[in-house]
Amino acid sequence: MNLRNYLLRRLLLIIPLLIGLSLLTFTISRVVPGDPVGLAAGPQATDEIKEALRHDFGLDQPLPLQYVNYIGGLLRGDFGRSLYSRREVRDDIAAYFPATLELTLAAIMIATVIGVPAGVISAVFRSRLPDHLARIVALFFVSFPAFWLAMIFQMVFGLQLDWFPIGKRFNVLDIPPPTITGLYLIDSLLHFDFASFKLTLSHLTIPALVLSFGALASITRVTRASVLEVMDRDYVRTARSMGIRERTVISRHVLRNALIATLTMISLEFGWLMAGAVLVETIFDWPGMGLYAVESSLRLDFQPIMGITLIYGLLFSLVNIATDVAYGIIDPRIRYG
Amino acid sequence: MAETSITTPTVNLRDVAKPSRWENVRRGLYRFRGNALSLVGLVALLIIIIIAVIAPFVVPFREDSEGRIHATERLQAPDGLHYFGTDHVGRDIFSRVLMGTGMALQVGTVIIVVATLIGVTVGAVSAYFGGWVDDGLMRVTDIFLTVPPLMLAIALTAALGKGVTNAMIGIALVWWPGFARLTRSLVLSLREEVYVEAAQSIGAGHARILFFHILPNALSPIIVKMSTDFGFAVLTAAALGFIGLGAQPPAPEWGAMINEGRDYFPEKWWVTSFPGMAIFALVFSLNLLGDGLRDLLDPRARR
Repeated sequence: MNLRNYLLRRLLLIIPLLIGLSLLTFTISRVVPGDPVGLAAGPQATDEIKEALRHDFGLDQPLPLQYVNYIGGLLRGDFGRSLYSRREVRDDIAAYFPATLELTLAAIMIATVIGVPAGVISAVFRSRLPDHLARIVALFFVSFPAFWLAMIFQMVFGLQLDWFPIGKRFNVLDIPPPTITGLYLIDSLLHFDFASFKLTLSHLTIPALVLSFGALASITRVTRASVLEVMDRDYVRTARSMGIRERTVISRHVLRNALIATLTMISLEFGWLMAGAVLVETIFDWPGMGLYAVESSLRLDFQPIMGITLIYGLLFSLVNIATDVAYGIIDPRIRYG
Repeated sequence: MAETSITTPTVNLRDVAKPSRWENVRRGLYRFRGNALSLVGLVALLIIIIIAVIAPFVVPFREDSEGRIHATERLQAPDGLHYFGTDHVGRDIFSRVLMGTGMALQVGTVIIVVATLIGVTVGAVSAYFGGWVDDGLMRVTDIFLTVPPLMLAIALTAALGKGVTNAMIGIALVWWPGFARLTRSLVLSLREEVYVEAAQSIGAGHARILFFHILPNALSPIIVKMSTDFGFAVLTAAALGFIGLGAQPPAPEWGAMINEGRDYFPEKWWVTSFPGMAIFALVFSLNLLGDGLRDLLDPRARR
């Protein structure tokens, strides 16, 4: 099977997955024992007001019809309206998504840049001091509750040392770079606005660092294991016996073949970090999907949550496909099928 | 005549199998002893369990783990009377942190046990029967795996209603797919074993083969995953408590305590710091132990 057909098939397979996911979140949102409408209408609302609200949002229709309407809306790119703010969920997500994406991408980059070398060093120095050290440090940082570590970092780096701002994506009074991608770092570069770039970076550093700890341990561990496995292979022995320097053997022959397992872990962790961003966003007042999801769920406002889970499901599936395609680039022996 | 010539073997297979199994356990323990870090984790965990058990009898202000309010003693810094200081309504944080230990352990245990039961059953049934059963169950598993678990847990818990029980249910309901995938891959290879064929040929039923012949042999990797997941389950439960969906005040749940102390941070650092350190201590010792168990029980990871 060639790459195009493979991609097409994989992309088509996302559709039933998303339908299942929407059915799941729809079911969750409709079995709520609480009273979302009452919560949205406010404490003084009369029964008539609640009834009008219910009618306005189509909640008085039979459940199957509601679901069909929801799917019909999705096909038109309509995620419905928030019961609480009455705003279009699509607009909210469009505003919040880039913030979370930027944070997660930065975090996964930090985790990769630290985790992969740490894994390689652990493997090369197997069962010696650097190996033990890397293992302890990774286990240490992954054991902290992210929200608590975020508070501590905020206090140390933001308040006491005053190196970084303590929250938000950008200074409240300044105007962020005009939106092209929604990622401030990229937008500011595209406008050659280096002051904004620096400002964005200073806001991003600590939240991304805290978030990256969640992925650091597993990236290190997987890299270590797969480097160890590859180091036992015949072609590595051959390369060594040819007198190639150990450093070259590791970087040219071992690393490239060991990267596949690491890549899988990174793509998996990407999804986990997106969800982990919920906690970091809460602490740093980061205007992203996580904060939006938490606020919506506390208000029993399920339309946004359904939208967010669908977007995450779509994104996660796309990342998985991209990973599988990347396998073939790293290791040409891998065939798509 | 024929009856005497056929001598039935009197060797009980269990007796033959036992020594080698014990030998494995003995070797495993030996290796485990060599792994200083996991020993530290084990000892720390045992101490934490002891604290959880004796906490109700030894904490200085037991009633502070319930709804007691001491308006005149609010937000006092740690001193000889209140070792960890007091919170925004004057409760003794030392007592509350200690009383929260049992809660954290219980919550983690329930989540992992429920998730394992669901996941192992789904995975085993899926792999054993194959065909449309496998297809159907795995599609459902895939749906759960497409969304980051924390996000789905938040949605589920919000729908079920705030509270520690619902948080446990919510987290367990998103945690099982990992176990299902793992069990499925194990059972897929184990069902081809000769002893499964032997059991089938003497007429053993599906349930018997699956639960008495196949699953016991798949136990090690499942136990490893349970132990390594335990810490993350504790963290997730604390996160839900922190968000406000999990345990509700005045329950002495560490995540909820950190949330309550947020408004006074960093000036009154002790309100949030001690519950945070307690979470870290528990999760770190669980992770150290889990790391050692993985080396012990998962031969592929041992190097």
